[in-house]
Amino acid sequence: MNTRWELVLLPSLFFVVILILGSQYVFLEGSFYKDLGLGRVGTELDISNYVRFFTDSFYLNTLWITVKTAALATLFTLILGFPVAYLIARMRSRWSMLLLAGIVVATFVTIVIKVFGLMIIFSADGLINKFLMGTGIVDTPYTIIGNQTGVVVGLMHYTLGFGVLLLYSVIQTIPRSYEEAAQIHGASRWRMHYRVLLPLSIPGITIGSLMIFNMSMGAFTSAALLGGGRVFTLPVLIQRTVMLEVKYSMAGTLSAVLLITVLLINLLAIILIRRFRAARLVIA
Amino acid sequence: MNTTSQCNDNTLSRQSTEAAIVAGRRKGPAPKVGLPWGKYLHYFYSSFSYIFLLSPMVVVIGASLHGGEYYTAIKFPPDDPSLQWYWKIPKGQLEALGLSFLLAGGTALGACIIGIPAALGIVRGKLPGKTLISTIFRAPLQIPAIVTGIAFLQLFYLVGDATGMYIQGTFWGLYLGHVFVATPYVVGTVTAVLQRFDTRLEEAAFSLGASRWSTFRRVTLPVIKPGVYAGSLYAFMVSFGDVPISIFLTAPGFVTYPIELFYGLENDFDPSILASASLVIFFCLIALLAMQKIVGLDTLLRSGSR
Repeated sequence: MNTRWELVLLPSLFFVVILILGSQYVFLEGSFYKDLGLGRVGTELDISNYVRFFTDSFYLNTLWITVKTAALATLFTLILGFPVAYLIARMRSRWSMLLLAGIVVATFVTIVIKVFGLMIIFSADGLINKFLMGTGIVDTPYTIIGNQTGVVVGLMHYTLGFGVLLLYSVIQTIPRSYEEAAQIHGASRWRMHYRVLLPLSIPGITIGSLMIFNMSMGAFTSAALLGGGRVFTLPVLIQRTVMLEVKYSMAGTLSAVLLITVLLINLLAIILIRRFRAARLVIA
Repeated sequence: MNTTSQCNDNTLSRQSTEAAIVAGRRKGPAPKVGLPWGKYLHYFYSSFSYIFLLSPMVVVIGASLHGGEYYTAIKFPPDDPSLQWYWKIPKGQLEALGLSFLLAGGTALGACIIGIPAALGIVRGKLPGKTLISTIFRAPLQIPAIVTGIAFLQLFYLVGDATGMYIQGTFWGLYLGHVFVATPYVVGTVTAVLQRFDTRLEEAAFSLGASRWSTFRRVTLPVIKPGVYAGSLYAFMVSFGDVPISIFLTAPGFVTYPIELFYGLENDFDPSILASASLVIFFCLIALLAMQKIVGLDTLLRSGSR
């Protein structure tokens, strides 16, 4: 049976390629027209929007906050997510399915609802503040809405479930027998994690953290709602630039910077990983 | 299996076993036998992640039961449980929910129509540059969603200027954007299932006289079904929860549920959104349970890992 499967693929490929090229070309080209505000743009191609971006401290600061919050969210997602992923992956009882289902539900429910819940929990008369004020730890309500902590918490909420599922699949590829071997030879639980599990899962963790970082860099909803109009990351600023200031080409520039920053960081990370692995092979 | 990967596996396993033995060579007294404190600590620590992940939803559902007055309605735990807000969900929110369901269902279907042939072509086709092609199909996931949103908006303006057909703020414009981001999920899940598929099954059916179409429908399709279901569920959920793309492609009076909620939270909110949000949470729970019954959670995750 000689079905020409590659022909089956062509219409889909055509559809996706047209949409990618079309959409990316339009906004990239648009970003090279000087933005005159309120939807008006200059008539000649130039790089004035980019010059503006890289000379205006507000824009540069936004870029920095975006990278910083995304990096922090990734770090905390790994710290919180890895033990959970490990627990589920190594569990032998039927409970593991239930625990997994909890994570999946948390990832499926739209982030707007979850952020809504976070806002209620952290509100002035919410659970956290009732506890903190009741025990006398703070005397004015503590808030995460409108500051960078809030943005990081929101981003983490967006990525944690996904991160656990990702790490779960990484840990599942590591045979349980290695850990048992280490323990039979007398390694403590901590030492086994540190010397056996961690080195084996590092390739998976690195790729996973890149994916989590990319997600956080592009996350709009949680950053917009918990930033409360005071903390701007690039995705939030892009939406405001279009919706409130009607500056399409400046928004195009911001999008291009976001896209290129993400790509560059990924490229850099991949090069570093290759270097690192090559170096380790030489030692081994 | 190719030999390279086996060779790597062997090296890996030897190194790891050595590492395991080295890790075991420890100084000091033998480990104390007793209660596994490390294990309990691990459970305790992990429970924080669960509390963090699940508490917002519990709080939303809990607060939706509040029976008090309008302005004090956001309260958890609720002090006078009642279902009053469920009867007061305004028409706007119900319409937004309706649109979201229609859109997400349509998106799942569209993503399958585009994604299944793509996966078949990637796994079975004899094409040069397969890696490039699968990268292209994954690309919509690499582009930040907000960039996709604004890019599609501008594309629609451009096409509109050229042809006179403006589709931003219409169902089809929104639909195109959603199908674009949802397709990679179906491609991913179906590809994963196809890679484990034994093509001899099809050859057998074909040589016994089944037509191409009948072979596909009666043999191929049933086998890739779990992948299709899992991919459709992902596509549905991605579309159903999307904000960053929809925010650019909807129009006043024509919004999806997450956008309605988003504006509700940014401006003044009506406590009835707690009620409708709870309904959505229950829906997601039911969808997941149904999927667990049909294909099993493990299949869902295994085929979903990109």
